[in-house]
Amino acid sequence: MKSNKTVNPLITFEHKRDAYGFTVRPQHLQRYREYANIYKEEEEERSDRWNSFLDRQAESSELATDGLVVGEGEKVLGDEAAGQEADTSSEKGVDGHEASNQVPGGSDSAAENGSQKEEVPPAEETKVHRVQLWTDIRSSLRTIEDMMSVRVKKKTGSVKDEQIIEAAKSPSHSDDVKSPKGAAFEEDSEEEFYDVERSDPSPDMPVVDGTNASANGITADAAPPEASFPWKEELEVLVRGGVPMALRGELWQAFVGVKARRVEKYYQDLLASENDSEIKTDQQSMESTDSNGKTGADFGCMPEKWKGVKGQIEKDLPRTFPGHPALDEDGRNALRRLLTAYARHNPSVGYCQAMNFFAGLLLLLMPEENAFWTLMGILDDYFDGYYSEEMIESQVDQLVFEELVRERFPKLANHLDYLGVQVAWVTGPWFLSIFVNMLPWESVLRVWDVLLFEGNRVMLFRTAVALMELYGPALVTTKDAGDAVTLLQSLAGSTFDSSQLVLTACMGYQNINETRLQQLRNKHRPAVIASIEERSKGLKAWKDSQGLASKLADMQVLGNLSRTESGSTNADEILISLTGEGEIDAVPDLQEQVVCLKVELCRLLEEKRSAILRAEELETALMEMVKQDNRRQLSAKVEQLDEEVAQLRQALADKQEQETAMLQVLMRVEQEQKVTEDARRFAEQDAAAQRYAAQVLQEKYEEATAALAEMEKRAVMAESMLEATLQYQSGQVKVLQSPRSSQSDSPVSRNNQEPDIPARRISLLSRPFGLGWRDRNKGKPTNEEPAEGNPSVEEQNTISEQDVNGLKVQDESRKEVSA
Amino acid sequence: MARPGNKIIQAKLVLLGDMGTGKTSIALRFVKGHFFPNQEPTIGAAFFTQILSLSEATVKFDIWDTAGQERYHSLAPMYYRGAAAAIVVYDISSVDTFVRAKKWVQELQTHGNQKSVMALVANKSDLEPKREVEAEVGEQFAQENGMFYMETSAKTAENINELFYEIAKRLARALPPKPTGMNLNSDIQDRGRNYFCCSA
Repeated sequence: MKSNKTVNPLITFEHKRDAYGFTVRPQHLQRYREYANIYKEEEEERSDRWNSFLDRQAESSELATDGLVVGEGEKVLGDEAAGQEADTSSEKGVDGHEASNQVPGGSDSAAENGSQKEEVPPAEETKVHRVQLWTDIRSSLRTIEDMMSVRVKKKTGSVKDEQIIEAAKSPSHSDDVKSPKGAAFEEDSEEEFYDVERSDPSPDMPVVDGTNASANGITADAAPPEASFPWKEELEVLVRGGVPMALRGELWQAFVGVKARRVEKYYQDLLASENDSEIKTDQQSMESTDSNGKTGADFGCMPEKWKGVKGQIEKDLPRTFPGHPALDEDGRNALRRLLTAYARHNPSVGYCQAMNFFAGLLLLLMPEENAFWTLMGILDDYFDGYYSEEMIESQVDQLVFEELVRERFPKLANHLDYLGVQVAWVTGPWFLSIFVNMLPWESVLRVWDVLLFEGNRVMLFRTAVALMELYGPALVTTKDAGDAVTLLQSLAGSTFDSSQLVLTACMGYQNINETRLQQLRNKHRPAVIASIEERSKGLKAWKDSQGLASKLADMQVLGNLSRTESGSTNADEILISLTGEGEIDAVPDLQEQVVCLKVELCRLLEEKRSAILRAEELETALMEMVKQDNRRQLSAKVEQLDEEVAQLRQALADKQEQETAMLQVLMRVEQEQKVTEDARRFAEQDAAAQRYAAQVLQEKYEEATAALAEMEKRAVMAESMLEATLQYQSGQVKVLQSPRSSQSDSPVSRNNQEPDIPARRISLLSRPFGLGWRDRNKGKPTNEEPAEGNPSVEEQNTISEQDVNGLKVQDESRKEVSA
Repeated sequence: MARPGNKIIQAKLVLLGDMGTGKTSIALRFVKGHFFPNQEPTIGAAFFTQILSLSEATVKFDIWDTAGQERYHSLAPMYYRGAAAAIVVYDISSVDTFVRAKKWVQELQTHGNQKSVMALVANKSDLEPKREVEAEVGEQFAQENGMFYMETSAKTAENINELFYEIAKRLARALPPKPTGMNLNSDIQDRGRNYFCCSA
């Protein structure tokens, strides 16, 4: 197998093969090239993260190891293993050919060493043989392996329980196996041997389990409790981010707990029995007497079945990753040994197509025996019941997955139902192949990383649901069954963004867990078992028809007997010629035989008719069941649609109410807008009026200012008039006293001219002046005549002033009115 | 591709037969014209589509290529239920595959669609020197069971297209003449009808 390892690094990148040597389909070639660089970068990041994690892990493990003597022992063992590797590499370099020849000899020496103590160092030949097939993983991954091995011990216990159940079920299994076979005696004898072979594994299992249990016990003692694995969550994050290519093979072994599962010489014994059977076919009887009698007995008891299994394996060897450079003649031989060993290890499964791909993949990543124990862990634990004769667990998982899809993506599920597509048509092959040849290889390996780490099939479901999430929107647009299936398969095959797929699966579906899946499996398993039993009944009907054929054959045999009897009858006739009574006796016997045969024939025909009727009834029942199923689904859909309609109606009513309210609000808003607009108009009018009023006031102010100016002028004139009047009075007094009357008259005339103008100006002041003048006249009786002459002049002045005042008042009133 | 006024038939077709008889190679040769000597075994089932144009109708095949190993037998009903046509394949160089083919025919007659077109195909006719099953034997069995018989070779492409054309003709003949497209998948028909009835 190391030759394969040597070949791997030498793989030259071909334009049609990816980094792992697998074929890239032509339609995906361009897309793969786009992602090749992304993968390279991701790989470098991954390696860095894992290396730093393992360095920290080594430090903590050293601290932990200091306190454990067993840990130190393991270190020593590791060193010895390394030494053995060194020895082997040197020896193999010298004698590559001899090593292969020594394989049988190695097994013999291994058997001989079985009796010796483990402490005794093995022989040199044994070294070559053992190291050639088995290699311990590097010490830096030991603690991870120890943690995972605890799980293996627990699972081994559960496996025991399952085996007990299987033992209880074995009679029903034998019944199922009997039904498809005819009633021939040879087949009966084979069935008996088959039952014996079925019972054989039960004593074998406790021995193997005991060995595993003891090994697990040792491991459990050595392994510290899970509480001392604080880095487990970090490890999980790293696993989901992908395992580096260089570490993948060893980490997968650690995840599966290969070391805890391993039983020394077990694999070699399986192969040894095969080699013995091939080389010494004639000595089967001798083999049966040896310590490996059971194996020999198994082979002897079931030669036909074993040949069938072997033939199937042989057919599929060249069809496993055809053209892959690592699966050359040596690789193919390793694959044959691996699949053959597993078929012998688990006869109830034997070989099932899909295992060839798993085995081939594991052989690319690890040595042969390591691959065997990894394969056993996957098939016996992770996928228990998947690849058995009836594939019960596979069918159960598909029903579980369909329920998850209906729950998560109801629209998609309804659309596929409408098209007549069953999800299981596509996802069944996904699960059975663990996505090998279904997704691009980078994505397959990423899914396997998580699946092997988690130890169950949860990642299978999460990945499939993630694919439905990614591609559901596209599927909903398809218009017929063929387009939907083609599109889904094509899209899955082009899922090169492995990080998106894995992270969507792991982070998006936390509630899809082992507990829930187990509940759903328990819910759906009875239906699967019932359908299988029903199908076996159908096979019984078919068997009955075959039985009819065999009975007809028996009738032919009876016919031959009758011919023989006819011969004897001839002899009797000879005797009859001697005696008459003998002849009479022969005739009734033949007639009776004819009657019996007719009766049997009628019975057989009736049985055939009843069988046919039964088949028809079953078919009718099946069709009705299918219709009922459709009806139930349709009624469920109708109910859902009714609910949706009701909801929509309510929503519509609500919306209508909202619309009404909105309309009312709109009306109010419009009214408010109108009011606001009216108010705005009024405001504009008010503003205009105010402007006009302001202008009017401005005019009034200007007029008032002008009036005030005039008043001031009049006041000034009035004062000057007053002074003039005073001077005039003083002048009159002089005239009365002096004789110069002509001089006084001329100033008066002058004064008369001047007073007219001032009189108008000082009209308001003239009134009190006038009154004062009258009082003075009354006081002097002697001057009555000149006093009467003066009032007439004053009166004229007063009248003119009053007229002026009246005009002003009228002006003011007019202004006021206008204002 | 479809002519105006021409019938469009969508037919589900299932390939059954023992492992290694060439079921996938027959499908690949018909759909893509490819042949691989070491075609990888089919896990569960594989799906192919192809359209054939006849003078009287256009047939769109939805081909389910099932896994041949006997233990996958329990999964086969999921794929052959409601199929309009079935091809049962055996290898002329192996009697065991003929025995297995006969069992498939029995099962189809018991559980399958009674009205489907059935073909018995003797594949690997290029291995004449290694023949173990005479043509007369296969032909007689086909006649007795209401099937038509054809010898093919996916390797040399002999009779591959002829096989599917013959099936298409028989499907077109079996249909009543209708101008609109019609699905022969009974599941689709039943569901479609129920759907329309309920929606009405």
